[in-house]
Amino acid sequence: MPTHFLIAVLACFFFSATVVAQTSLKLPETIKVVPEALTSEPVCDPIIAASWRDAQEIDGVKIRESRRCNPDNPALIAAVVKGTNNISMATLMETDLSADTIIKEDDIDGDGDPDRITIKLEVMELNGPSPDFEGLIPTFDIAPGIQPGLWVFAPKTRGMSTENFESVRANSLLRLPSPVIRVEVGDTVRLVLENSHYLPHTIHLHGVDHPYAGHGHDGGDGVPQTSESFLLPGGQRVYEFTPRQAGTMLYHCHVQTHTHLAMGLVGMIIVEENRPNNWLQTLNVGAGHVRHPSVAIQEEFDHEYDLHYHAMDKELHEIIQKYNDPRLIARDMNRLYDITDSTEDYYVLNGLSFPYTLRESLIIVEPDQKVKLRVANTASEMLAMHTHGHKATITHYDGIEHNPIAQITRDVYALAAAQRLDLTLNTTDDGLHSYGEGIWLFHDHREKGITNNGMNPGGNVSAIVYKSYLDDIGLPKSQGIDISKYFTEEFHQRKLPVWQDLDASGSLGAAAGQSAPIIDPATRITLIDFIFGLVAGLMLYMLFARREQTKQAMLQVVSKLKGSKGNKAND
Amino acid sequence: MIKYITILFVGMLVINGQVMAAEDAESTDHDAHSGHDMDHGDHMMDDSDHSGHDMDHSDHSGHDMGHGDDHGMAHGDDHMMDDHSDHSMMHPGEDGHASHHGDGHHHMDDSHIMDHEGGMIMGQNFDKLPSSCDSISEEVEITVRAGREYANKFPGTMYAFDEQQWHVKPCAKVTWHFVNEDDIRHQFMMHGLPRYMYQNGMFHLEVTGPRTISGTLIVPATDETYLVHCDISQHMEKGMKAQLVVGNGGEDIPSIPGLTPYAFPDTYLHEDLPQVSNEDDDDSLLTQVDEFVTDNTPFSLIALFGVLIGLLSVPLILKLFSFRKNKVEAE
Repeated sequence: MPTHFLIAVLACFFFSATVVAQTSLKLPETIKVVPEALTSEPVCDPIIAASWRDAQEIDGVKIRESRRCNPDNPALIAAVVKGTNNISMATLMETDLSADTIIKEDDIDGDGDPDRITIKLEVMELNGPSPDFEGLIPTFDIAPGIQPGLWVFAPKTRGMSTENFESVRANSLLRLPSPVIRVEVGDTVRLVLENSHYLPHTIHLHGVDHPYAGHGHDGGDGVPQTSESFLLPGGQRVYEFTPRQAGTMLYHCHVQTHTHLAMGLVGMIIVEENRPNNWLQTLNVGAGHVRHPSVAIQEEFDHEYDLHYHAMDKELHEIIQKYNDPRLIARDMNRLYDITDSTEDYYVLNGLSFPYTLRESLIIVEPDQKVKLRVANTASEMLAMHTHGHKATITHYDGIEHNPIAQITRDVYALAAAQRLDLTLNTTDDGLHSYGEGIWLFHDHREKGITNNGMNPGGNVSAIVYKSYLDDIGLPKSQGIDISKYFTEEFHQRKLPVWQDLDASGSLGAAAGQSAPIIDPATRITLIDFIFGLVAGLMLYMLFARREQTKQAMLQVVSKLKGSKGNKAND
Repeated sequence: MIKYITILFVGMLVINGQVMAAEDAESTDHDAHSGHDMDHGDHMMDDSDHSGHDMDHSDHSGHDMGHGDDHGMAHGDDHMMDDHSDHSMMHPGEDGHASHHGDGHHHMDDSHIMDHEGGMIMGQNFDKLPSSCDSISEEVEITVRAGREYANKFPGTMYAFDEQQWHVKPCAKVTWHFVNEDDIRHQFMMHGLPRYMYQNGMFHLEVTGPRTISGTLIVPATDETYLVHCDISQHMEKGMKAQLVVGNGGEDIPSIPGLTPYAFPDTYLHEDLPQVSNEDDDDSLLTQVDEFVTDNTPFSLIALFGVLIGLLSVPLILKLFSFRKNKVEAE
């Protein structure tokens, strides 16, 4: 009997030992993920017509060339420069704007440009839930497959929230960031907030000269605890102001600011200096390149770019996707979410993370140019923006010019939360301002800022690209690795081994699971357990079936022991 | 529900196919469409004398009229006329269709009317009979009110229409008076109409309130239930959803407040919120007795009450059992 048992146990160990010996003879093969297995998208979105990149004139509005992959819609620029009340119907129809989004009238100072400006904004939710299906609507990806729930101020739109009725993608005006607003010193601006959302909101003009409280039902400072009440869903409020100081400023919602600002209800507002015939590009949707810069900017600079940095805690942005009932959303937003326990996960530049920053947020330059960069940080942490190959000069802090002889030229620019810097990027190849032509990255130097939820490359990485390094669809002609793998959902889901194509043998690719080809570890353990069980079962059966024999054997053993004991005692 | 999801998703493929197939036909359709647009224009003119629509103005007297004369009626309003001639209101059909970016975003804008305050009428049809209809069965006017106020009776929503369901006969000619009572944009958007006469199968009214806009369409002969909603982000999801039942109707549309259940309902957990305690509420004799008993015995009054009921029912139970026993014995 014990011999049977011993044999079984030995067989068991022998078996498992063989398995181990077999696998350790050779380490697992490298597994390669083939492109066909990936959900990929083109590096440059094919729906954009190449002609959008060209310099052109629409309804008398001159629009500059913009060579990047996703340039702004020229018709939209023409409409926001002239105002939706002055633009032709044909041009308006090329945009998603409502007919009353921007009203420009009355040249009060007689200098050739309108001075009474009405701008209508709505509050829109992106990547929100539906009680009808499990997906999100209308969708806006900050990187392939990454869809955090967002709230934005959007230019007043007409028609559907989606591109068309067959699509769940948001229409072209509904996007992060909230649009950059441009007004002129001395303009009478009526910023009209139409609260089309299901929660209360307001507008606080951060840094822009405005009255503390408005007349009658008008808005003032935007703070519901002081100057005004909540603007409830379905309501409308006018914020009227006449700015007296130029500069790069902000506007944001001041209701539950700790969550509403982070959700995306924050944008840049730029007050431009007063000049004759100064028809401003009132909105810069998606920020980035300004294709119709102001007269003052044209006097001094070759290009102007708006750079809006933001960061998000994904747990906050998931709240609005978990429920449909506004009461449950309000409960989680106001009472359950704890910002003091939050961590930032997504880092966006002009509403997008790498690799989408390559489509929209490149700073395209030529040698010996002066470029105006207006930079804003609306994340809740410090930003350490760094430019490769260039040292730019900080000319303005929070819209105020720094003493010209004390201005600092450097390559890391620190921006506290809500801070704005105006930088002058000089592309003169003198070893200081520029090191010469190329594709030079610019990014947050807090390293988490160059990731999407910890996956690198991602985050707010973009590049200063010299025109000679740009291909005809507006992408940098890089000499490095193929970037198409970043335009897959799997890369951002951590399923694509980034280094599998470094060399032909895939020396840093993904290793196959160790014993998968013969017998995987879980099955092996199950098998061994089963064999033990079988042996134990057989033993119990034998004991029971031959209980008489066993009993006798036991008795014999006992008597033998007793006998030997007795013998010993007798000895 | 299946229908709606089909429209959105599964239908995409089918619809794409149909679009491809219909593309050729559409170019000929276009001429008809633009001719039809001119009819609209004429109708707009005619309707300016239509006193029936003037009531919309008085409907608004109860609302904040801070916008004064700027917000009159859209239907037959002077603004409409002016814009019609000034801006050549119609989208330049064929040219617009072949717009240079060719992404198809804007083709839905063909053949519709828009004024300079953003009021829009799309897919309007006064006289084109659907192929399934021999004649117009009835002419009805329906006033639809939209706004936050109508969501009050449906907890957990934020926007709604005043009604969630309307019934009309097959082949009815329906004039909708869409009264937006909020100070923001709302839409009255219908889907699933025959695509050969309604672009993308849609009929659409849109207006920023407080204001009214009116539009007319003719429904097909088939029994069908059409989705009516506001497509502004989260407005349908937060309650602004209804259905138009033609004849006996088809399958119900899901998640219409008070009418059909949500396909994906939320989970509600009990919250331990502070409440006013019952201590002050001591005028009831029962409460006083209960408190006295609770304070002075380990049992509550209710427990004692339970014991009493139990004791009283013992004979009854015994009787019941003995009856059964007897029955068994009898057998």
